[in-house]
Amino acid sequence: MTSIRVQAHTLPNTMLVLTREVHSAPVATCWIWYRVGSRNEPSGLTGVSHWVEHMLFKGTPSIPAGTLDRTVARNGGVFNGFTWTDFTAYYETLPADRLELGLHIESDRMINSLFEPDETDSERTVILSELEGYANYPETWLDEAVKAAAFTVHPYHHPVIGYKSDLLAMTRDELYDYYQTYYMPNNAILVLIGDFDTNQVMKQVERYFADLPAGPALPSVRAVEPEPQGERRVVIRRPGPAQYVQMGYLVPDCRHADFAALAVLDATLSGAKPLSFSGGGAQTNRSARIYQALVETELASSASSSYMPTRDPFLFELHATVHDDRTADEVETALIGEIEKIQQDGVSADELAKISKQLRAQVAYSGESVTNQAFQLGMWEVLDSYARVDSLLDELAAVTTDDVRRAAQTYLTEQRRVVGHFIPTAD
Amino acid sequence: MTFVRSASTANNAAAGLAAATRHILPNGMTALVLRASSSPTVSVRGFLSVGAVYESTAQSGLASFTGAALIRGTQSRTFQQIVAETEERGCSVHAGGGLHTTGFGARALAEDLPLVLEILADMLLRPTFPLHEVEKLRNQFLMGLREDEQETRVQASRAIRSMLYPAQHPYGRLTSGTMATIQALSRDDLAAFHQQYHPSSAVLVIVGDVEPPVIVDEIERLFGDWKPSSVPPTLDWPPVAPLDGVQRQHIPMAGKVQSDIIWGVHGLKRSDPAYYAAMIGNVILGQLGIGGRLGENVRERQGMAYYVYSSLEADLEAGLWGAAAGVNPENVDQAITTILHEIEQFCQHGPTDEEIDDVRAYLTGSLALGLETNDGLAGALLTIEHYDLGLDYVMRYPEIIHAVSREAIVETARAYLSTERYAVAIAGPAEEE
Repeated sequence: MTSIRVQAHTLPNTMLVLTREVHSAPVATCWIWYRVGSRNEPSGLTGVSHWVEHMLFKGTPSIPAGTLDRTVARNGGVFNGFTWTDFTAYYETLPADRLELGLHIESDRMINSLFEPDETDSERTVILSELEGYANYPETWLDEAVKAAAFTVHPYHHPVIGYKSDLLAMTRDELYDYYQTYYMPNNAILVLIGDFDTNQVMKQVERYFADLPAGPALPSVRAVEPEPQGERRVVIRRPGPAQYVQMGYLVPDCRHADFAALAVLDATLSGAKPLSFSGGGAQTNRSARIYQALVETELASSASSSYMPTRDPFLFELHATVHDDRTADEVETALIGEIEKIQQDGVSADELAKISKQLRAQVAYSGESVTNQAFQLGMWEVLDSYARVDSLLDELAAVTTDDVRRAAQTYLTEQRRVVGHFIPTAD
Repeated sequence: MTFVRSASTANNAAAGLAAATRHILPNGMTALVLRASSSPTVSVRGFLSVGAVYESTAQSGLASFTGAALIRGTQSRTFQQIVAETEERGCSVHAGGGLHTTGFGARALAEDLPLVLEILADMLLRPTFPLHEVEKLRNQFLMGLREDEQETRVQASRAIRSMLYPAQHPYGRLTSGTMATIQALSRDDLAAFHQQYHPSSAVLVIVGDVEPPVIVDEIERLFGDWKPSSVPPTLDWPPVAPLDGVQRQHIPMAGKVQSDIIWGVHGLKRSDPAYYAAMIGNVILGQLGIGGRLGENVRERQGMAYYVYSSLEADLEAGLWGAAAGVNPENVDQAITTILHEIEQFCQHGPTDEEIDDVRAYLTGSLALGLETNDGLAGALLTIEHYDLGLDYVMRYPEIIHAVSREAIVETARAYLSTERYAVAIAGPAEEE
């Protein structure tokens, strides 16, 4: 890859700027990350992070509502914004000579977003429409029930989009206060990657960001999910086309020493996943344990595991769509059986070698795009440190077969488990 | 000034594309190889001009089923061996039947290109369609269709197509088939459909850290002995009656919260001289920024929908020119009225000069973004071959876009978009009594 290493710069207002020159194509990407997401939301304000994210597209005095999208398009760029449990991020990917437009937009809306009452109201119903769109899928109901059962104390309990009742009641001022608290330079990370000269681009960064006020001290997230005291089970009964199974085990976050072992465990179960944010990696699940044990045997029409890096302890998950003439109970037993095999017999050295090669390949595929590179850098900086992007392959390569077995024994236990079944009702 | 700078950036990227090696094999297969050494990866993409348009209504889903079955076993490898050998190296191969073409491809590190090419050649030339694998795949298709039956967006899409086209027309159905047709297809049907795969309609594109002459030799070795067992199929398109008035269909679905709406009329062929005028008009109407004019009104001003956009399907024949939105059931009528209002305004007054400037700047300026990755470059080459556009197409693209006048956009919109003759399908909760 025609790239140089990441450079970190800290502005006087404490905003962190990460830059990396990549000269293989005449494009550049501008990302701004805020260390805020649904994990920061208090009761009664669920969904506020996501709604605030939307409001940053709804106008400032210099970029009125409805003009941001046109301005980016006119400059040949693409843009988006998204909110997750642990972060909120925005990006513009542009022809390289237009990167300054991204800096202008992000610096302006960090401070000057208007949150005009009529724009706030019309966005309320857009978000309700987004929520209702998700609710058309049976998997949404099951996922929300599993998360709600798994987290009794921590805000990972509630969906990122929020509860309908909170979205109906939330006021413009509550949104604005939240914005004023979290959308400040001391809580932001700017990530710039692409075909530019770092010295030149840093001069522009200083012009747009150095004079912004740092912002207040941030409220901390105090909640710590206690050790579960036994298996929890939830059943959703609604109209639907099939039975679905979703299981989650409470596991450590990405800063824990066992993160790498759990990530390798996930890959032995259903392949090393693509790292890219926009798709485009290789499919690696069909030779892995869960596909072989559940899909090849026709217990399930699809099945997989997932383990994401998060700020606080989250879930190691198993998902399956139950085959037509089988039951959720049978699929649950088979999924647990695969976990127990690893707990008893461990994994093989060949599997670890395969995963190591898969990861190397997935890193190379996602690295082709500056947008994907910036996604990885920003996400890891929010969760822990951007340096993890470079150390991750080594961390995972150092995992031994014993580590994987021990992680499975320690965390994938009945006590730490939530089991969810979706059972269709007769029409 | 805005535009001129973008165009030059795009031209630099486009010049690289024109450097691709284009090689025609004696059996008629086309190979395109482009060296791009900034990443250690390679992207393989290709297609055969055989798709669902060549299947009968009774065998709906055949092209899709056949394409997906290619990986399920070849003369030299079982499905298990294919996934084991590719996944062991972090690469993947795939194939699938679409509406007009059957696509295939692979993702690999450059060091593993020989393996994925060998497997792809096996899949395309020597699939065996083992009975037990066909049955497993059939069950997965049936489960997918059962899920589709309860997806509002899929049901609205199925309905709008059946309203615009007669039952025997390939555009009148979905490529996934139906539970009944997938149930009825036999292993021999798949093998027979595979006989229609023809090297003279095959295009293979390889982009990555490779030496083009070496790869061309490898392609000759792997695909050179592909002898067609039939002549390329021809198509007899059934006539399509123009829409007469307004057709509206509501599909009530249990357990749903949101209604998905698709409005549609007949559009035009990709080869139609008015194609670019329609494409630009469509971007202004329902794509530019957050959903063009439709997004501006339905989403931004009225707050009715999280998603709303328009789309233009133009290929061998005139496809759907449509608009889609997901709204609360109470807002269905208001959303349709608003979509019609925007279409009427657009046909009556046409685009503003600013909109035309914006869309030109967007379409030409964003070219560089599409050509950033090996997959993006391969996709551009594939499109160029599919529509026979010439390797200099991306360099000519700004000229093509600029040659489309405001008058042409208005005329084209008026010729196709109508607020008096259209179909609209709504899938969602049962309508209030």
